[in-house]
Parts: sequence; C-alpha cells; structure tokens
Amino acid sequence: MPSSLHMVAFVPIKVCVCLSILTVFLVPGKLNAQTPMADEEATTLRKKVKTLADVTKTITSNFTQYKHLDFLANDIESKGKLAFKAPDLVKWEYVKPFAYSILFKEQTLYINDDGNKSNLDVGGSKIFKQLNNLITASIRGDLFDDGQFDILYFKKDGINIVHFMPKDVQFAEFIKAFHITFNESGEVDEVKMVEPSGDYTQIIFSGRKTNQPLSDADFTQ
Amino acid sequence: MRILLSSICAFFLIGCASYPKKNGFRPIGDIAIDNLNPYFSDTSKDYVYKAKIDAFDQSFGGLFIVKKLGNTNHRLVFTTEMGNTIFDFTFQEDNFKVNHILKAMDKKILTNILKKDFKALIKEHPPIHEVFSTQGDIVVETEILSKKHYFYLVDHRLTKIARVKSGKEAVVFQFSGDTRSYAKEIRILHKNIKLQIVLTALE
Repeated sequence: MPSSLHMVAFVPIKVCVCLSILTVFLVPGKLNAQTPMADEEATTLRKKVKTLADVTKTITSNFTQYKHLDFLANDIESKGKLAFKAPDLVKWEYVKPFAYSILFKEQTLYINDDGNKSNLDVGGSKIFKQLNNLITASIRGDLFDDGQFDILYFKKDGINIVHFMPKDVQFAEFIKAFHITFNESGEVDEVKMVEPSGDYTQIIFSGRKTNQPLSDADFTQ
Repeated sequence: MRILLSSICAFFLIGCASYPKKNGFRPIGDIAIDNLNPYFSDTSKDYVYKAKIDAFDQSFGGLFIVKKLGNTNHRLVFTTEMGNTIFDFTFQEDNFKVNHILKAMDKKILTNILKKDFKALIKEHPPIHEVFSTQGDIVVETEILSKKHYFYLVDHRLTKIARVKSGKEAVVFQFSGDTRSYAKEIRILHKNIKLQIVLTALE
C-alpha cells in the first residue's frame, strides 16, 4: 500500500467540507414556474446582498440538512447550527443525528467528530486560499464573480434564486451548481448543492440572527 | 536427530494447518443455513451509518449509505457529513461498478480493497463449503471473490466474518447490536494494513 495513499483520501475530503462551508454565504430560487430575472432585477439583488453584507458582522442560525440520493426511499436528515464572525470565522456544527463540527479559523480546519479532534493546516494550499477568499468575498457581497461562476438569476413568488456553476474544473468535480434562495431582505434562506450526478444536499436555515455579540469562545473546536 | 526432524515437520504442519484446524473447529456436516447475512437484505430499508475510518495514521469520517435495489443488487455510497459524495459503487450479481469516486482516490489498489470489503459486507448467500461448530457456535466456511470467508453465527445471528489468507485472518468484520435484521455497529479490521472502518447506525 503506497504510503501517500492516506493523504490522497484525506485531503480531498477536507476540500469537500470546505466547499460545503462556503455555500452558506453564497448568494441565493424554487423549482416549478421560476422565471429568469431581468438584468435590472439581478443588479438590484446583488446590491441588496452587498449592502446587507457590509453591515453584517456576525451570523448565527439553525439549519436542517437533507441529503438526497435518488435511489434512497427518504432523504437523510440532519440538524445543526452555524456561527459566522467577520472577517473569516466559520463554525458549522451538526447536533443530530450525530455530533460533528468543523471550524474554519486562521487558515486551519478544525474538526471535532464526536469527540475525536483533528485539524488541517490549509494555509499553504492554493485551493483553500481560494475558498477562504470566496467566503470573505461573500460577506462583502462580492461573490457575484463572473470569473469564478456562471451565474443565472431566477425568481418565483417574490423569492430570489441564484444558480452558481463553478468554472474551476477542480470545484466542478465536487459541485455542479449551488442554488441559493434569498428572502426579500437579501438573506440566505436555503442552499442546494447539486452534484454532477444530479444528487444534492439541501440546507434550510431558520432562526437566523445577525450582529449578535460572538466571542472567540463561540469558535472553539 | 529424528526427534529434531519430527519437531520441524510438526512445526511446519501446524503452521500450514488450515484455519479450521488451527482453531479447533469440528465439522458438523450438512445443516440448513438460512439467511446467512441479513444485515443489508431489506429492500425497503435505507441503511445509513456514521463512518469513522482510520487509515495509515489519518482519521476521517462521513456517512456510509447502503441500499438493496434488487435480489443481488446493492448500491453503496460514502459521503462527507456535509453531503459531498466521496465514492459511489454498485454491486450487481458478480459485477462491480464505480459510479463515482474522487479522482485522488481513484487508485486500483484502493478500489480493490473497498470492493472486497464491501462485497463481504453485503453478500447474503455466499456459496457454502463446509459447516463447523466451535464452543457451541456455528462457523460457516464460504467463498467470496475467490477468498475463503468464515461466517460466525452465535445463536443463529451473524457476529463475525473472517477473511482468511494462508490460514490466518486477514480482515475481520464484527457485527454487534441487539436486533437480527440489521447491525447497529460494524467494524472492519484489517490485520495486515493500517485500515479500520467503524460504522454506527444512525437511528
């Protein structure tokens, strides 16, 4: 068994996790009769998101995640909570049906898998630097980057949905598209990560609070 | 000199003895064995496990998902906790198909290990060569992918599978839990390489 085999398995899994984190901040639509936005509407949405991002220093939220695999009878449901503190602290914590958290902090991924802790220094990695930039750019509202994504804007019944298709080949291996649903205030209500196979992970947020005081203690492994 | 030669011969004979002989299994002839491995046999059930993998001094986890789609047709998927697919396999009859696997993990040596391990995990009715008893329990010698596998039944419930090579256990599958229809915890322990997988059923 090649001694490097463990790394080729370990590192891509961390990439997948990172990609998942950044979707929280991607700007966000529903199927069935969603219509493309006019350019002016898309511009208005981008401005709304940027304005909100400029004044958002912290976010806490609950989430319910549904993993959909076509061949399963039911989606796999899990629940947890999210914490974000500008400029780049993110903690994603699952509480049910398993205990698992991932913390992105100072160029390091900290994982706590039901008490088993591990971390990965990602400072030297180009792809993780890109991910970090994406996360912080989303806070500034500059995530609408035509250089990184093909972007399509839709609306339905007052709900805005934005589809982001990664242009980067490495990203596209994991994620075919992000579908982000925004509410009228420009906040993210829902994220759907669609894989190349068509299977997807849907994350629905609830109980969102912004600009509540968060300390470093809220971002421990 | 004769005693030395006899000792050497005895040493080799014992060393080369089969797994059943080494473990003192007693053949018990033909007995009916129904449903040798029921743990992934229900087509109505989604089998979802929290997985912990220790491989070569690295640990990582995810979700291990199995679905029986037909008589000899299983789909196995491993994802991160956040839903990203790491690998996706289909076992249908004697065929093994990689539907998807991360490029960095797409190494024949790795997929072969996973193929052999998961085939043993899901095979419900492997061909039976012989049946033994040991200390009141039953051990069934079978063959999966041309390798001998010994299924241990305690009170007619599968508790262990041992893949044996040269008379020794190479991989051990341990099943625990208080139901007969699925295993609440499964451990796959490799004896010759640093690889261990622990699966805990999500209720």
